[in-house]
Amino acid sequence: MDTIQELERVETLLKPYAGEMRRGEANRVDVPLEVGQLKAAVKALVDARWGYLGAIAGVDQPAPVEQGGPAANGHTEVIYIFFQGAAAAALRVLVPYEGGSVPTICDLIPSATLYERELIELFGVTVTDTPTTEKLVLPDDWPDGVYPLRKSFTGFDGQQV
Amino acid sequence: MDLEPNKKFVVPIGPQHPALKEPGHFEFAVDGEIVTGATVRLGFVHRGIEKSAESRTYVQNLYLMERVCGICSHVHGTAFTIGVEHLAGVTVPPRANAIRVLVAELERIHSHMLWLGVAAHEGGFDTLFMYSWRDREKVMDILEEISGNRVHYSANVIGGVKFDISEEQRGKILSSLDFLEERTRHYLKVVNEDETFLGRTVGVGIMTREQAESLGAVGPTARASGVERDIRVDAPYAGYEQFPVRMITDTRGDLHARFVVRIEELFEAYRVIREILDHMPEGELTARVPRRIPAGETISRVEAPRGELLYYIKSNGTDMPERVKVRTPSLCNWGSITSVAVGHKLADMPMLLVGIDPCFSCNDRTITIKSAGVDLGWTWEDLRQHGIEAYR
Repeated sequence: MDTIQELERVETLLKPYAGEMRRGEANRVDVPLEVGQLKAAVKALVDARWGYLGAIAGVDQPAPVEQGGPAANGHTEVIYIFFQGAAAAALRVLVPYEGGSVPTICDLIPSATLYERELIELFGVTVTDTPTTEKLVLPDDWPDGVYPLRKSFTGFDGQQV
Repeated sequence: MDLEPNKKFVVPIGPQHPALKEPGHFEFAVDGEIVTGATVRLGFVHRGIEKSAESRTYVQNLYLMERVCGICSHVHGTAFTIGVEHLAGVTVPPRANAIRVLVAELERIHSHMLWLGVAAHEGGFDTLFMYSWRDREKVMDILEEISGNRVHYSANVIGGVKFDISEEQRGKILSSLDFLEERTRHYLKVVNEDETFLGRTVGVGIMTREQAESLGAVGPTARASGVERDIRVDAPYAGYEQFPVRMITDTRGDLHARFVVRIEELFEAYRVIREILDHMPEGELTARVPRRIPAGETISRVEAPRGELLYYIKSNGTDMPERVKVRTPSLCNWGSITSVAVGHKLADMPMLLVGIDPCFSCNDRTITIKSAGVDLGWTWEDLRQHGIEAYR
């Protein structure tokens, strides 16, 4: 019961910024956003004290092979997951490999820094103005420009992943 | 040494066991004895589990996820299976749900007691450390009795659980709980009354509710600062709807509060386990689950001993997941350390670090070992063959 009300509340809060929202699960609303609207949407949630940031998940979406386009045409979907009780809101933006970026949300939610560092390190997403871009989990001698959670990464020198 | 007055003096701690025998690296900037800044570097035992998950079937992944953490293996398995079952549209039998909760609470007991020992040790109180670890053996014995294993009990299968609880096991669990409850009362007394212990915990490392919320703290660390958040209560999963737990909070936000909250949670765990053993639903242990999981996404959350554990699972309709994202509780709690440390004495750092009950396997998830050019890493096939040979 509460969950439904919370979902309706978050839908109202995010309506001005979002594309077509959809209930992905009984307790989750999926909110597609343009990158430019992300910050305003997150601010709306923070100001209204709707829930807390549970995680930021990256999902690699490489360019489909059959389209024959260059591999650089892939995207990373970045999902900002918020929870209020059992209700979840997933704010989703698509960031192209080339020239794409997301703004940091650390000024609104300081704890986002660890997730943003993960995104930068493991997916190669550019996060503008994020407070620290130092390596968090990969080794110091990890080569630049290799992003292990992209589907195109299948290990070094034929080692299996 | 640089003696310029305005330069900071940085004390590196780690990566070899900064507070407990696991790797993490911290740099504390100090002014005399007082910490003025702190940074953290993780990843020393990063294993690339999320990547590995994408090339394994759901069943193989269950075993992989259980190995994210050796302390709370069951909650990882539970979070993963609940997510997969949800995607597959499978309803788990009530008896299986009850057993999942039973094992989860046994795991919480063993984890909290392990922590109590480590925390006491960091405080220089080795007697309490020895006692709590001795008593913890009781719960390890129960876990071994019901599952055959002390650590990776591997209770879950996708669609249910592997083992039942017999009448004889029920009796053993109940008598062990009586012993543990009495011992826990003793620990609570020690933690609340021992002068030296109070001196090291009361008023140390205070994190206000606002700080806890903005830093993203979770679990007992957050609840000790008055943040009312417990997935078992907020979004009950498995058998927690039928066997509800009471949320334990404390508003003081210091190290002492973190001790009290965890010890109080032990009593709550004993109560819930007795409740389950008295009202165990009858029925099957497993439901059938298709090998291929329909396309979709789900987020499943459980309350691990250290706090909220989150799995994001995306299925593409095959027998392997498209993406699995694991957000473990320790990751969230690190942020609280680097902020709360400021203004405290360097000597309080081990206690503060251990106060969040940090678990490194929690946040570091491939490691490849290379020695003089020889690759000591094993491929999946090597491991598979080894498994077949070893258990032939």
